[in-house]
Amino acid sequence: MAPSRHAAPSAEEHLRRNTVGINKETVTNVSSTDFPGHFPGEDHAFSIEQFQSAFSIQFHRNEANDASFSLIGIDASLANAFRRILIAEIPTLAIEDVFIENNTSVIQDEVLAHRLGLIPFNGGREGIHNFLKWYKKPEAGEDPYANSFDWNTVRLELNITCTVNPDAAPTENDPLKAYNHAHVYARDIVFVPTGRQAEHFDGENAIRPVNPDILIAKLRPKQTINLAMHMHKGIGADHSKFSPVATASYRLLPLIHITRPILGADAKKFQKCFPEGVIGLETVTREDVSKPGSGYEGHLGELKAVVKDSMKDTVSREALRHAEFEGKVKLGRRRDHFIFSIESTGQWDSDELFLESVKHLKLKCKKLEQQVINMVQ
Amino acid sequence: MPREEYQVPTTSGGASAGAMTRGATGGERHDSRAVMTYICGDCGGNVTLSKDALVACPHCAGRVLYKERTKRMVQFEAR
Repeated sequence: MAPSRHAAPSAEEHLRRNTVGINKETVTNVSSTDFPGHFPGEDHAFSIEQFQSAFSIQFHRNEANDASFSLIGIDASLANAFRRILIAEIPTLAIEDVFIENNTSVIQDEVLAHRLGLIPFNGGREGIHNFLKWYKKPEAGEDPYANSFDWNTVRLELNITCTVNPDAAPTENDPLKAYNHAHVYARDIVFVPTGRQAEHFDGENAIRPVNPDILIAKLRPKQTINLAMHMHKGIGADHSKFSPVATASYRLLPLIHITRPILGADAKKFQKCFPEGVIGLETVTREDVSKPGSGYEGHLGELKAVVKDSMKDTVSREALRHAEFEGKVKLGRRRDHFIFSIESTGQWDSDELFLESVKHLKLKCKKLEQQVINMVQ
Repeated sequence: MPREEYQVPTTSGGASAGAMTRGATGGERHDSRAVMTYICGDCGGNVTLSKDALVACPHCAGRVLYKERTKRMVQFEAR
């Protein structure tokens, strides 16, 4: 008998397959099963039409430095690919070389250079993304500046000397008041435009630290820092200072299923087992009571626990520790609902970063496709 | 300058002509009364010590003197 194409599984069966079970001490049903050949008679071959019809995106929060959204109907392999691309493969501009003329502060040259490298910078987006290109490090023995041009190197300077503040009272104990420039902040870094950078990074497009209040070093009178820096483009896989995100992570949508009614004082206790806003309390209605076998009979007007917003749950499993809820609640997570959270370091907008990660994955696929074609020929 | 290339400066012989131009302070190196400046650890002032002088800062009598940092640029990778 030829394998017939069965109808798609029922909604109930679909939910069961898409739920990761979370029990008191174990986690069950962890791997996805929607691939060809797993269920006899069911066709799970990937098709772009099916993906398009099932896939959706919901935005929860969209700010420049913090975006949160749900990808629904996508496999973990793809969601994880996006996460990894976000962290390690989207290029940003960061300080790469530090040329120290003088540094008499207590902080050592190499430590200072490392600290400078970690400062996130911002600037004209068009200039950073399109005008600036990759920098190729010169080979050993070559002129060290042979590859430095205005389209791949940004020059910054930091020249600062701490002096005694003549206006301060002689008994002043606060170094910030007693001395000028006792603290060196990221805002003291000066951008020096070279060549065509003057067009792309003028005015408010100037290269500047995202957070001007980052403390770089502390000085005392007569101590001085005098250095120049070169910024290059790089990726997070090379060094995490190039990573465009502070965090890029996802979690699966938590599911809370109340199988038998939780009533009265138990309901209040149940609410306390979850973060605020996850469980709501409602009164048992006449309609609930009238349903035979619902468990509400004779409890008219009492409080019952209902799931209000399972997305806020942290899945602490606290409810599973109490004997009174045993058999009344089932916890789980939806396997194909990814709640992404992206916090940009400032050089990109958070939502823009996700689109960029999609672009990167597409480019990788195109390269792979060409290689497969070459292999077949 | 790598350590291997360094040559002890000598007053006799013309072999040090190259080294004269290479060093940043080459001009005053062969002065018989070379003045070396130190930095006082207590007051931060400049201290010059002459031969047989007491190792102490004339301004504040601090006894910790630091050697001055090189005038050359030092390059680091910000990693």
